[in-house]
Amino acid sequence: MRITLESLTKRFGTVVGVDDITLAVEDGEFVAFLGPSGCGKTTTLLMIAGIYKPTAGTIRFSERVVNQVPPKDRNIGMVFQSYALYPHMTVFGNMSYPLKLKKVSKEEQMLRVQEVADKMGIGDLLDRRPGQLSGGQQQRVALGRALVKQPDVLLFDEPLSNLDARLRLSMRGEIKHLQKELGITAIYVTHDQVEAMTMADRIAVMNRGRLEAFDTPDDLYDRPKTLFIAGFVGNPPMNFLEVEVRQEGDAFYAVNEALRVQVPPQRGEPAARHGRRVILGIRPEDITLSDAGEVKGEVFLVEPLGRDDLLDVHLDAANRLNVLADPAARIRAGDGIALALDMRRVQFFDPQTGQSLLWR
Amino acid sequence: MAASARASRIGLPPNVEELEYRRAATGELVSQAVFSALVVLLFFQVGVILFKVLEPLIRAAPGLLGSDLEIEETLTRAIASALTLLAPFVAYGTCGAKMRGLATFDRRRALRVALLAGALVYGIATMGQWVFQVGPFAEKPSLEMSFEQTADGVLITGIVEGGTADEAGLKVGDLIIAIGRAPTDLAGLKERIALSAFESKIGLRIVRDGEEELVPVEVVPVVEVGLAPLIGGLALALFIAGVAVVWPGGLTPYVLMVVIMVPLLIGYLWLVVASFSYRTEGLLPVGAAGEFGGFTLRNWEFLTREGTSSDPSIWRITLNTLVVASLMMVLVLLVSSMAGYALSRMNFPGRRSFLSLTLILHGFPAVTLLIAIFFVLRNIGKVPVVGDYFGFNTRGGIALVMVAFELPLGVWLMKGFFDNIPWDMERSALIDGASRWRTFWQILLPQIRPGILALGIFAFISGWGAYLIPQTYSIGTKTATLAVFISQRTNETAPMNWNELAAIGLFQMIPVFIIFVFAQEYLLNIYAGGTKGGT
Repeated sequence: MRITLESLTKRFGTVVGVDDITLAVEDGEFVAFLGPSGCGKTTTLLMIAGIYKPTAGTIRFSERVVNQVPPKDRNIGMVFQSYALYPHMTVFGNMSYPLKLKKVSKEEQMLRVQEVADKMGIGDLLDRRPGQLSGGQQQRVALGRALVKQPDVLLFDEPLSNLDARLRLSMRGEIKHLQKELGITAIYVTHDQVEAMTMADRIAVMNRGRLEAFDTPDDLYDRPKTLFIAGFVGNPPMNFLEVEVRQEGDAFYAVNEALRVQVPPQRGEPAARHGRRVILGIRPEDITLSDAGEVKGEVFLVEPLGRDDLLDVHLDAANRLNVLADPAARIRAGDGIALALDMRRVQFFDPQTGQSLLWR
Repeated sequence: MAASARASRIGLPPNVEELEYRRAATGELVSQAVFSALVVLLFFQVGVILFKVLEPLIRAAPGLLGSDLEIEETLTRAIASALTLLAPFVAYGTCGAKMRGLATFDRRRALRVALLAGALVYGIATMGQWVFQVGPFAEKPSLEMSFEQTADGVLITGIVEGGTADEAGLKVGDLIIAIGRAPTDLAGLKERIALSAFESKIGLRIVRDGEEELVPVEVVPVVEVGLAPLIGGLALALFIAGVAVVWPGGLTPYVLMVVIMVPLLIGYLWLVVASFSYRTEGLLPVGAAGEFGGFTLRNWEFLTREGTSSDPSIWRITLNTLVVASLMMVLVLLVSSMAGYALSRMNFPGRRSFLSLTLILHGFPAVTLLIAIFFVLRNIGKVPVVGDYFGFNTRGGIALVMVAFELPLGVWLMKGFFDNIPWDMERSALIDGASRWRTFWQILLPQIRPGILALGIFAFISGWGAYLIPQTYSIGTKTATLAVFISQRTNETAPMNWNELAAIGLFQMIPVFIIFVFAQEYLLNIYAGGTKGGT
């Protein structure tokens, strides 16, 4: 089912929770709402679920406006961060509760619960209570309860954040797989960008109640439209330097007190056209250690990440770069190093508006 | 020993404290203990001196604060002497307590040191008492003669030469038969001497050679120290020091608790004993002649007594109480849970002020409203049908008033329990297809079951034991509850059978007792604030 949000706004008294959001989730699509905590992503989800009533704007399921439709008539399934299992009911009781309320016959309840439970791998736990289950099992029960009523839309509110890292990884794959297999439209709220990047077909990045971008993961990563997205997506985060881009003959150079590097024309030209100082963004993985490198700096801090070392390199007092280095290079704090920047992947932003100068 | 051996076996150094103890000579340890004990003694003495200096101020304090209460001199003096007398015992205890560290690995040596130090401190304290003439060395009133009980009277067996008895002309062999005109025995005589002021005179009526004679003898202050109290004191000192070494520290709170609880327990014990006996002397049931015994079930006969219109049977009263308590429980639960839910989950104008108002009402003394409520109840009584069940002098009316007073607590309590249930639980139920009403009954209420049980029991018990409201809004015995019934019995002009009253009291306690035994876990929940929604 296609879900359309038009100028959706939610205010709590004077506080604006969600501010004028417009987007469309296609039928069968997996969309992630990504943003820092308090950005309004859960509020948006709860409006789609019908728990909150929008202050302004409309929510459409297919063509039908559902603003005033109570949650029970929307045919949605939702998985909460806390799982929200009913502690006084067994697993079967939990999973059959939506069916019971739909007045499905006892036999069919048994049949459908058993089928979903088997699919989730919790078929032998039906007579337990939630308190007797592990976190991962509770998570599966919550997911099963959402699926058993065969919803048109699946909503997830940070469902994996209470699981340990390994379990989170495997559940990520399972949820994604289930969603594709059943073809149910899904909206997934998370603050974890890795989750959003790996699972979602498209990501809606939200900040302070506003929709910053609504794009595929690759576009968000390679062609960030705003400074916020560039800084928010990617780990370790993108480096930002204030530079001036000058044209000298056919060549473009990004220049500031600490560096002077050549920029390919297709990226340098729009930046140079801007005229004033711009913000140069470059990801740590696009910087390599090279003796021939034209940028010199001193290593201030070395953070071992396992596969890589994350270096905090000071070019001068104001300009710093995070760089990924091979631990085999055995770089220590205080070493002087030379860096080569892959300028084909550099980003430029307007410092005033935060808009990208390359992508619109 | 074992600990250090274990430590050296696994290559750990023995702990520093232990090493210090092992290195120290016994004399050093003893002097340490004695020193701390002396510090304690000194501390007490400074306290006493300070107390004496401040005594006028302390006695004047209530006056300065505007009260006409007076603190009597005897009280302050008693406190000062209690402090003085207590000091040595605390010091002996300190000797032992100081050696507890040593006792953890070498108990025998710790005991040795503590006993030695205790003996030394006893010596020092006794010397101090001798110098200041206090404790066993205090001056006591005496007649300076010895006597013993015989069949005829008190026989004088010895006279101190040149003493007051000697001066008065008493001789060995005289038989004391009375003080003044009052006949006396040995115990009476001793008591009289002990209570006499110095330099007062006691007129002894004696028989000498078959002739009666009245001899006035002056009471003089004498310091008499027998060996027995000194040795007894030493033994006590050593005992205290020794016990302080081996005393299990974990027991202290329990001992204190038992000591504090004893008066309460004695009260309940009396209640039980009294209800099964004709009469009691102290805690002992006694028969008609004052001998031990006299058990009877007579006091429980009220259970089988037939009721009349003016004097209803106990079962009618019990039914009244049960109706009031149950009605109260049901109403309190119903209103509290719904109001608590609304206050916890819904946002409506006046929510905050309503909450604070309820809190104020919770602290509102019920007595001040008695008359106003009386008029309210009387007016409810005029309403057809409803008035028959909830008006003045009806069980419903009584319950209604008590429910009102119980609600602030209940509402706050229920709100607290609801606050602990995550919002997601409710949202989940709504999305699963439940209405708000169904969510409340099927999802939320089961989760605060411990709170419901606790509040229910609480309301029931407070209804069961209530006195003020039922007493005020019921006339006669038609609607009386058990508490009112008991009170009416004590107000009767006829002689009161206290033992029967004890039995009725015990009878009233039975359900409460049963409830507490089975439900104390839930009741604890209420006082702990219901930290868990339970499963």
